[in-house]
Amino acid sequence: MNPSEDQIYVIIFSTLFLGGLMSTFVVAMVFIHRQRQAQNKQKLDQIKSEHEKTLLNIENEIQQDTLTHVGRELHDNIGQLLSLAKLYLGSSKPEKQQEGKETINQVISEVRALSKNLNLDWVESLTIEEFIEQQLQKIESTGFCKTTFEHSIELGELPKDQKLVLIRVIQEILNNAMKHASPEEIKVKIWKDGATRTIQIKDNGKGFDTSIESSGSGMYNLKKRMETIGGDVSITSSIGNGTLIHLLLPN
Amino acid sequence: MDRSIIEQFGSWYLIIIDSFLIIGSLIFFRLSKDRKTKIFYWLPYVILAFTVFYENLGAYTNYNLEFKKSVNALLGNTENPNYNLWVFNICFQQITTILYLLLIRNWLEPSKKKFINWMLLIFVFISFALQITGIEPLYLDQPIISAMGANMILIGSGLYFMGLITNQHYLETEPLRLISFWQMTFLLFTYSLTYISSVSYLYLYEFNPDLGQSISQIDMYMGIINIGILILIIASPLLPKVFLREPFYEPI
Repeated sequence: MNPSEDQIYVIIFSTLFLGGLMSTFVVAMVFIHRQRQAQNKQKLDQIKSEHEKTLLNIENEIQQDTLTHVGRELHDNIGQLLSLAKLYLGSSKPEKQQEGKETINQVISEVRALSKNLNLDWVESLTIEEFIEQQLQKIESTGFCKTTFEHSIELGELPKDQKLVLIRVIQEILNNAMKHASPEEIKVKIWKDGATRTIQIKDNGKGFDTSIESSGSGMYNLKKRMETIGGDVSITSSIGNGTLIHLLLPN
Repeated sequence: MDRSIIEQFGSWYLIIIDSFLIIGSLIFFRLSKDRKTKIFYWLPYVILAFTVFYENLGAYTNYNLEFKKSVNALLGNTENPNYNLWVFNICFQQITTILYLLLIRNWLEPSKKKFINWMLLIFVFISFALQITGIEPLYLDQPIISAMGANMILIGSGLYFMGLITNQHYLETEPLRLISFWQMTFLLFTYSLTYISSVSYLYLYEFNPDLGQSISQIDMYMGIINIGILILIIASPLLPKVFLREPFYEPI
């Protein structure tokens, strides 16, 4: 075999080798794509099922709270009113019987109002701003602390799942503030910075060390829940300096 | 009719690619005005028209030897006035490579486009420097420029395939129904095989012209397939059942 023949074989071999290499590369890419596509689909399904699970949990928690509230109302309010009505109606005096009838009417309207709370339809009829106002009014009415609410934008109509998560998260933050922080004031603010809408909840209570993981993993839950709807949460706090929480809403 | 004209312009290869230009033009001019202004459609048409132009120019230089001789003399090549490598060097090695890099850039995810911008700058600068300094004259074989162009196309293809297996938009689609996938696959083959043939071309013609001829035919077949795919890109809006929408292509 002379040298030129050798070189010709090298050229033929190189051409075939390179062609084979390119074919293998492209086929491998298609296989990897298929594999990753399947993994991706699995991951998306998992995220979807987690999202649904979180929503279900939130709905259950809200229903649980509602039932507790209804139970309390039946015992403390409606029960009392019915007892009063029984007393009035049992009286021989016509004016007392009239008062008894009025008390029964009051009971009817209280029961109507209460029945509205039994399903989650109220979530759809209420805006986030209205919900925050209601919650802050409740806090103020108990005389627990002062509250303020400012909003430079309207959040508008949010999808039901986002609204449910936000309601639960806001409720949890306000409950935590009342249970653990003993603040003198709670301030809630809503604003928009560029495309990001933010709900800020600030209290001047005890505060806590954010570097220490809480036993109830409440902060982790808040973050996870906000992430479920494509949002985020940031918490700034230190002992003695209150707590500042930013809820970043999905765009 | 002059026999030489039939010899030069009547080859099966030129007839096929000339027909492809006619078909491509008919399809392109049937596209809506909005689509015609989109780079996704006009760039493949420019590549198609330019490829057909330089292949015919190559044939013309073999028909009009005086013209070829005078261009060679202008470029300083008086030793081999019958060479028309300058057509291949300017049109395929340089301009077509730049056009294909732009086409690849079009298909990459936005974060990867900057790599192609840098490659384009480096390619233009080094090619210019190599030719100006006389290291690789325009009228002779240009292995460095050829290797550089082929490698850049291969890197561009690599970036595309990386995006294909990592980017969410590509993972949600079926690659075998993406016209970009087929174009990148055949560009990968064309440039790797053209590189081998271009570096061994002169050697093979001296020692084994038959093999040289066979290897150069690989370029022709790959060229025809690439032109065919360019036509399919232009025609893709007319074939919505065959091809899916490109993930990074902004719809009209």
